[in-house]
Amino acid sequence: MNLYEFCRGLIHWLVDLINNLWYWLGDVLPWWFGDFFDAVGDFAASRGHISVMAIGLEVLIIVIVALINVLNFIWIDRKLSGRIFDFYGPYYVGYRIGGWLQNLADGIKLFVKEIIVPAKADKFGFMLAPIIFVGSSFLALATIPLSPHFGVATNESGHGVSAGVIIAFAFFAIAPFSILIAGWSSNNKYTLIGGMRSAAQMMSYEIPMLLCVASVFLLAGSFSFFGVVDAQHDVWFAIPLFLGFVVFLVCLVAEIEVQPFDLPEAEAELVEGWTTEYCGMRFGLFMMTSYLRGYIGGALVTALFLGGWQGPWFIPDEIWFLIKAYAVFFVIEWARWSLPRVRVDQILDVGWKRLMPLAVLNLMIAVALKTLGWF
Amino acid sequence: MAEMWINMGPQHPMTHGLWNLRIKVDGETITDAEPEVGYLHRGIEKLCEDRTYTQIIPITDRLCYGSSLTWSHLYCLTVEDLMGIEVPKRAEYIRVAAIEMQRIASHLMWLAAYGADLGLMAGFIYCMRDREVFIDILQALTGSRITYNFPRIGGVAHDVPSNFDRDALRACTYMERRLKEYEEMFDRSKVFMMRNEDVGVLRRTDAMNLGVTGPPLRGSGVRYDLRKDMPYSVYPEFEFEPATHPDCDCYARYRVRMDEMWQSCRIIRQAVQKMPKGKWRILAPRNAPEGTGVGRVEDPRGEGVMYVVGDGTDKPYRLKIRSPIFVTVSAAPKMLIGYKVADVVAIMGSLDMCIGETDR
Amino acid sequence: MAERGKGISGPAEGLERAPSTVDEDPIERIIRSLLDSFPSAIADFQKLRKGVLRARIERRDLFKACKYLRDGLGFEHISMISAIEYEDRFELVYHIASYQHRVFLELITTAPKDDPSVDSVSSIWGGANWQERESYDLMGIKFNNHPKLERILLPSDYLYHPLRKDFRG
Repeated sequence: MNLYEFCRGLIHWLVDLINNLWYWLGDVLPWWFGDFFDAVGDFAASRGHISVMAIGLEVLIIVIVALINVLNFIWIDRKLSGRIFDFYGPYYVGYRIGGWLQNLADGIKLFVKEIIVPAKADKFGFMLAPIIFVGSSFLALATIPLSPHFGVATNESGHGVSAGVIIAFAFFAIAPFSILIAGWSSNNKYTLIGGMRSAAQMMSYEIPMLLCVASVFLLAGSFSFFGVVDAQHDVWFAIPLFLGFVVFLVCLVAEIEVQPFDLPEAEAELVEGWTTEYCGMRFGLFMMTSYLRGYIGGALVTALFLGGWQGPWFIPDEIWFLIKAYAVFFVIEWARWSLPRVRVDQILDVGWKRLMPLAVLNLMIAVALKTLGWF
Repeated sequence: MAEMWINMGPQHPMTHGLWNLRIKVDGETITDAEPEVGYLHRGIEKLCEDRTYTQIIPITDRLCYGSSLTWSHLYCLTVEDLMGIEVPKRAEYIRVAAIEMQRIASHLMWLAAYGADLGLMAGFIYCMRDREVFIDILQALTGSRITYNFPRIGGVAHDVPSNFDRDALRACTYMERRLKEYEEMFDRSKVFMMRNEDVGVLRRTDAMNLGVTGPPLRGSGVRYDLRKDMPYSVYPEFEFEPATHPDCDCYARYRVRMDEMWQSCRIIRQAVQKMPKGKWRILAPRNAPEGTGVGRVEDPRGEGVMYVVGDGTDKPYRLKIRSPIFVTVSAAPKMLIGYKVADVVAIMGSLDMCIGETDR
Repeated sequence: MAERGKGISGPAEGLERAPSTVDEDPIERIIRSLLDSFPSAIADFQKLRKGVLRARIERRDLFKACKYLRDGLGFEHISMISAIEYEDRFELVYHIASYQHRVFLELITTAPKDDPSVDSVSSIWGGANWQERESYDLMGIKFNNHPKLERILLPSDYLYHPLRKDFRG
């Protein structure tokens, strides 16, 4: 039973429960009050509307799961960096559970801050940029299923969107656009420079990334998540396509802008880069979305290279998927706190001159493997 | 994008201290630069004309708060030159041991800030933690952690505490082990080398002409260390090598400072093991004779010089302080032009700016 | 106790001209060649201690002497430029160092109170640029031919020169 069926069953049960109240009211109250409540009950129980509410509930569940994972990621990031630097991470808030509630405390702090919009900033762009950024990231998240039974893109036929991976990458790649808007509309020289650098970096690392994904498509023979994961039932793609795996990881680090590739928001030069002028929860949204994109990236790596949700029978598929995504995130964080920052023209150098040939080489390896008939 | 002047500072996370760097950028490349200092000017030279010679010692501590022992030592050397007094041997050895520990602490603080600027937070945390080892020893010796008020005219304020030699030797052994780890963390990191090699080149002749001294000068291939070439205090009795490096870039300056830390450990070992017994202070006369005194030391940041004019009273007539960073920063445009904006951090970080001594 | 402001005075140490031998002390050679080149201008030569020399020079010969020091005698590094105000004159003390010969030269020149200006040596040594600006800023000494003689440590619209003795508080 997949998530959609589960939600639908739940909503059906809930609607039936609540409809008892409406129908009882319809029986008790005279004249057109009664008819009104009867109509409400019928309206709620109609098939189309139950579908809509089921989809709404499904989306809500997925968003909540994603946000909880993001909170976990933030907590892991801070604890891990603390351990690398030989101090405790968050400690006091949520003392008994290792400081996990620090995230909530930070969120509350960001909510109560005063929101300041710079006087000469372009107000429409200023407000639009976080919306696009967060929205596109959540949309990318929506297309990634955690298991054959858990995901928005599993519709009633159970096969999922036939071009799921491509849609995920398409939504993922809207981000540079919103970063440019954010940097430019803030009316600040530094944020403009930061926004341009950031957009340049992201756009130049899309290409090796998509070339590696193309090699995965070649071996899997399908564009959808289910096809890709099912093609890995013998061996994970990370093993024959090891080069692609490494290149994809490096490009992912550059896409989500963590060290060593985070020069656009390098604190040492541009304060916060393109998010300097944002205050309060808007800034919190940017930060959260940065970790959300880390989660999306980890999920993509898992689905494309690490076998997705395939694993031994004693762990449920979704948990196995999450374990692999967390492992990828752990490796990224480990590299993040151990390496200095790469300068922006060197970042573009690495992207265009080193990673793209490697990605092309990886594609040729995939072609060779396919023609040899091993896949 | 047209050329525009950008202000980096005076409030900026990168600039260690309060100064302004105006750079003219054409896209990402720097075409001109102009540092502006003076935000921290406290009028120290004028202050010193109203205080007695001993009252000035805490003021000189605050000249460069990153390495304050060298400045108060320089001041005491200058006034001892003016008054013509000879400091007892034990005092000289204590001074040298404390100064070399201060040098290591100052270089560690530089390395922490440099790593943090380049994005390596791990470098920041580890270096500050190792600096605590030396600051703790200096606290046991002098009573303070940063501005010590320890040298006196004619010696040092008091004798070393018990177990000073054991603690100093342990600290040196610990530091040498950690220096190997730092070399692995920094030198063998490809990203670090990419950020530092061929960045901020300062040719040898330019360095000598523009008055650059200290690690930037030795990183440009000039083998001149005041402790060896015009020695003061009791340095002729120690064996150590001045650190130089032939490339003139940021990596060379970094390497020079790391080598200086190795050599400082050597000197501390010798100072602590060979320390003679005796008095640690002789009382200097209250009034200075008429005349002048000049003192020159090798500060962790360069060459510090002080010139005092005495006129027979107990207050100096004029005290002039030469700060190494004041002159090195004026040479900064030479190192910045032609590089990218992202290199500003690496280049200015490799100069180890301390604004306290620049602005006085 | 002598009065403040009278400055240093006293006889110079006797300095005999060294005979020209093949390997002579470089310091002696420097002294001799300086005295040969600027006999009228340089007075009051003193050898203070090992490697430190003091000389006085007239204001008008300062630039030529510095150029000769850098090009002919190998003094590559100007260490410090100090300005001292006495009752009747200003004194500028140039500390110039030679890396090759391990010599530290203290070159003193005077300027009268009503015309406190000397030639700038920043075209000879780039390191003198900011030091001269600082002397101008704090003491009010003007340097002719300086590329950019502006205030450096104090605000640019400041009216006084604080290190002068008549500036109190």
